[in-house]
Amino acid sequence: MSKSVLGLYSDPNQAADAMDALKGAGFPLGTFDVLTGTPYPEGAFGEHVPQHRLFRFPAFGAIIGFTLAIFLTAATQIAYPLVTGGKPILSLFAMLVILYEMSMLSAVISTVVGIVIESRLPNVNPGIYDNRITEGLIGVVITTDDDKSDTAIDALNSAGAMEIKQA
Amino acid sequence: MQQRRTIDQIHTNRVLLNGQLDTPKWWAPTVIVLGIIVAIGFFMIGIMVNKGLGVTGLSRPVYWGLFITTFVFWVGISHAGIMISAILRLSQAEWRRPVTRAAELLTVFSLLTALMFPLMHAGRPWRIIYFILPYDFARGIMPNIRSPLIWDPVAISTYLTGSTLFLYIALLPDLGNLRDRTTGWQNALYTILSLGWRGNPRQWKLQTVGGILLSALMLPIFVSVHSIVSWDFAVTPAVEGWHSTIFAPYFVIGAVHSGVSAVVTMMALMRWLWKWEDFIRPEHFDALARLLIVVATGWLAFTFLELIFAVYGLDAPELALRELQIFQWPWNILFITFVITGYIIPVGMWLQKSVRNNIALMFWSSLFVNIGMWLERFLIIVPGLARKTPFVYTWESYRPSGLEWFILFWSLAWVTFLMLLFSRFFPLVPLFEQKESQTFSDSIKIGRVKVPAIVREAD
Amino acid sequence: MASEAIHSGAQADAHSGTHEEAHHELPARVEPDVITSELVASTDSNSTGVRNWMWILGIVTLVGIGVGFAKLLIEWGDQSEWGYTAAMVAFLFSVFGGAPLVAIAPTLAKANWVRPVARFAALCSLASIVCTIWMIPLILNLPMLVVDGARRRSIWFEGPDVSPHMWALVSMITLIIAALGLIYAYAIPDFAAMRDHSTGWKQRFGSWMARGWIGTTIQWRTLRLRIGMMGTLYFFTFVFVHFVISTDFAMSLVPGWRDAIFPMYHAISSIQAGLAVTVLGLWAARRYMGMDKYLHLDQFWSIGRLMFAFTLLWGYFFISAFIVYWYGRSGSDKMWIDYLILGPYFWVFILGVLFIWFTPWWWLIWNRVRRSYNGTAIGAGLILFGVFLDRVRLYVAAWAVPEDRIHERFLTEYPSAVLPDVMDLFIMVGALAGCVFIVLAATRVLPILSIWDVQQFNLLYRPVNYMRTKVSLIGKPD
Repeated sequence: MSKSVLGLYSDPNQAADAMDALKGAGFPLGTFDVLTGTPYPEGAFGEHVPQHRLFRFPAFGAIIGFTLAIFLTAATQIAYPLVTGGKPILSLFAMLVILYEMSMLSAVISTVVGIVIESRLPNVNPGIYDNRITEGLIGVVITTDDDKSDTAIDALNSAGAMEIKQA
Repeated sequence: MQQRRTIDQIHTNRVLLNGQLDTPKWWAPTVIVLGIIVAIGFFMIGIMVNKGLGVTGLSRPVYWGLFITTFVFWVGISHAGIMISAILRLSQAEWRRPVTRAAELLTVFSLLTALMFPLMHAGRPWRIIYFILPYDFARGIMPNIRSPLIWDPVAISTYLTGSTLFLYIALLPDLGNLRDRTTGWQNALYTILSLGWRGNPRQWKLQTVGGILLSALMLPIFVSVHSIVSWDFAVTPAVEGWHSTIFAPYFVIGAVHSGVSAVVTMMALMRWLWKWEDFIRPEHFDALARLLIVVATGWLAFTFLELIFAVYGLDAPELALRELQIFQWPWNILFITFVITGYIIPVGMWLQKSVRNNIALMFWSSLFVNIGMWLERFLIIVPGLARKTPFVYTWESYRPSGLEWFILFWSLAWVTFLMLLFSRFFPLVPLFEQKESQTFSDSIKIGRVKVPAIVREAD
Repeated sequence: MASEAIHSGAQADAHSGTHEEAHHELPARVEPDVITSELVASTDSNSTGVRNWMWILGIVTLVGIGVGFAKLLIEWGDQSEWGYTAAMVAFLFSVFGGAPLVAIAPTLAKANWVRPVARFAALCSLASIVCTIWMIPLILNLPMLVVDGARRRSIWFEGPDVSPHMWALVSMITLIIAALGLIYAYAIPDFAAMRDHSTGWKQRFGSWMARGWIGTTIQWRTLRLRIGMMGTLYFFTFVFVHFVISTDFAMSLVPGWRDAIFPMYHAISSIQAGLAVTVLGLWAARRYMGMDKYLHLDQFWSIGRLMFAFTLLWGYFFISAFIVYWYGRSGSDKMWIDYLILGPYFWVFILGVLFIWFTPWWWLIWNRVRRSYNGTAIGAGLILFGVFLDRVRLYVAAWAVPEDRIHERFLTEYPSAVLPDVMDLFIMVGALAGCVFIVLAATRVLPILSIWDVQQFNLLYRPVNYMRTKVSLIGKPD
């Protein structure tokens, strides 16, 4: 059985100390996390720096959108071939706006999907949490085996946790 | 100028969530009054649909009038959001923080409103469906993607979808905050909407990187939208005064001018109504006014180029149109009012530091801008049509009917109504941005003085 | 409280190792006395490399001017022979005239990264002197406002016959004055440093130019005011010169070309080129002048982003004009496309688009490229070549239209392509060498990086430990 422990701190430095203590107690980086009500500079708590592949999403989206737009614009004009102003039926410049907008729309939608997925959301079972985190407290949360939870609690307490929650 | 002071997160929550957790007393009566105006407006639109466009002042050859002017006006206002939110985010301007959410929101609601004008202007709005979908498969009749009138809805719906998603993504941390402060059905609502937000480094990182990426993607869309609106006019050589290569950037910069001014109007109202003096400060108005001086002057340069190259060709009909637009009654009065309210009064005011830091004066100056900018669109659209052209063998002027004026008024009430409704459920100032600015602010000691400083992460 | 956390964090020494790898190192601070002595010494022309280059550039410039004289005597009055000179002047003015805006706009927006860049960007404006010299033969060959008893289309309407000629000269001279004013406004504290830290003529010159500068609070305040005023003056003159050159030296020579966006298109690509030349200058300063201590990725990264934005803007301004003509289909609309795009200069156009827009777009879009010195410099090189081709396409085509066709409603027969002759090549290379020479010569008087700006950058920049990571603190005075 695994167990989640949450230590709450009023001072960010204490939270960073708690992260150090957990590292010192032999818990590998990535098994514990810090929860804050506001962004901090990356690495401020000595936390595991998350990697992401967000930049692939807009590129992928733009390609899909562009392809769909080529199909839509070309197909509608070929289906109803009305010569306008002596221009060819398939004129790139007449299609340009639709191609552009659909590529961008698709890129934006896939970026948003990417943000949600890469943030590991939606999170149906968010786990142990405290409402006061959005009031300025810093939470250090660790999920570990039952037998190691006491070590984790000790580490969290050693940094001066104002409260420990378990679930 | 640094009027920032240290504010703890509990205080920030209490003050900035007062719209949702402790709704002000004026809210309900205001929403009811606005709701009545909105209902009357919809009734008027109903009358127009029922009776036909004869109830408006539109008639050959002026077939685009107040509705299309107001459409362009609201699309222009919608440029506030991305201008403030994306450009200032990319340039890491600190003063953007309290403004972004409201600006994005203004984008969404003004776009929604703008979209309604071509709909009602169509006379029989349900037939718009034939514009969008192939309506006769047997004969293979398809929407004409070569027409700027198709580009318009495509661009606007792209912008609307993008802005709405952008707004939602940036709302996630605040939805998590509201979830933590509420109980009952509200808690259930915010729990679902916040998607299980916890505020771990991964989520914050994606929030930051995603915000920048979305800004970079929204920026080209924002430029394209008003450009495409301008091409409704500019690709038409038949109407004098419309066929100009400068229209796209000219419309965009004009839109930024009116949009950012509308943000100033809104910020002043937010500060007064919700008593957010600690968060929306004179320094923010000062920064916006400085930005507006640059934007307005750029816009003036474009106006100048538009005019000078209109007469440069020395074509008699074009010269006659400009004569009508600038010197003849009643257009001359409108033109003078447009120049005075669109540039001379507001920029003259903003050049004074005392005005830039005076919220009431900033409020009034921003209203002037939007009167001027509405007139600008009216002067671009109507006089060109009012003159006899080779394809329309008639001269006619245009006087909007009372119904059209009321619908213009309705649109103002409608946008305000939507904003107020939103404010009941969601915070208008991004709380996490506010808290972030506290985390990322510090000072450097140089000699005897402490210089305010900002924490910057390495790129 | 968060702000307290920064202070206590600033004293913490441990920081995470994993975080460091993802980002480049924060630049180290340099001691103030080292900055002054090194930068003052950098103006020394004793290094043989610089001296040789100055000789070569000087000779090439003079040869170019000599050939220009010869061409003036041989081809006087033949307008079509001056297209390449016009293109070169427009190109050089676009490149070097646009650079100071790189210094002005971010300075007014109080961006700290721009401080080490401002001097070089401002010095580039000196090239407007070379452009003005080369404008003289163009002015002599430009058609009068009244041709064969009738007025041609121009932005001067009913103005005097020599309006285009006069205003071109007046606006360029105003620009030179604004440029000198801007450089001087920026340089007063550096002249004082020269007075205090050099010997011989430089010390006397510095002492005379510093006008008793000792760095009092009032002096600093007026300095900032003066930079703001000269910057604004330069900006407005810059826009005006683009308006004049683009219409009088290109648009009004082609009957039927009525393009309201063109002056702005011209100015936008000029800022794009100005950014590019600034990058190249900084890259050279790092590589050959030992400025790597003061110029960091921060500067290249920031200018790289702007360069990318302006590359996209070029595409936007181009398509804004193009689509209006393409849909318009009137005679003059078709003329614009058939002559200036599809006509004799089609391949110049295609190559131009490739270099000014397409290649830099897909090159500079990568974070990794913009985060490298060489990558940004390559992007800058592409852009400069693209802007050159763009000016060739527009100006050579415009000057090739014979004067007797100028009253046509729009051009119906298109002149064939004009190729550069040997004299054109000498003139173009000479004019370019002249611009580089004048900027290089200026760096023998004033350091290529402004001493006081670099000092200020250092003063307001602190690399600190923030809890378990490293960040920089950027001071924001006022």
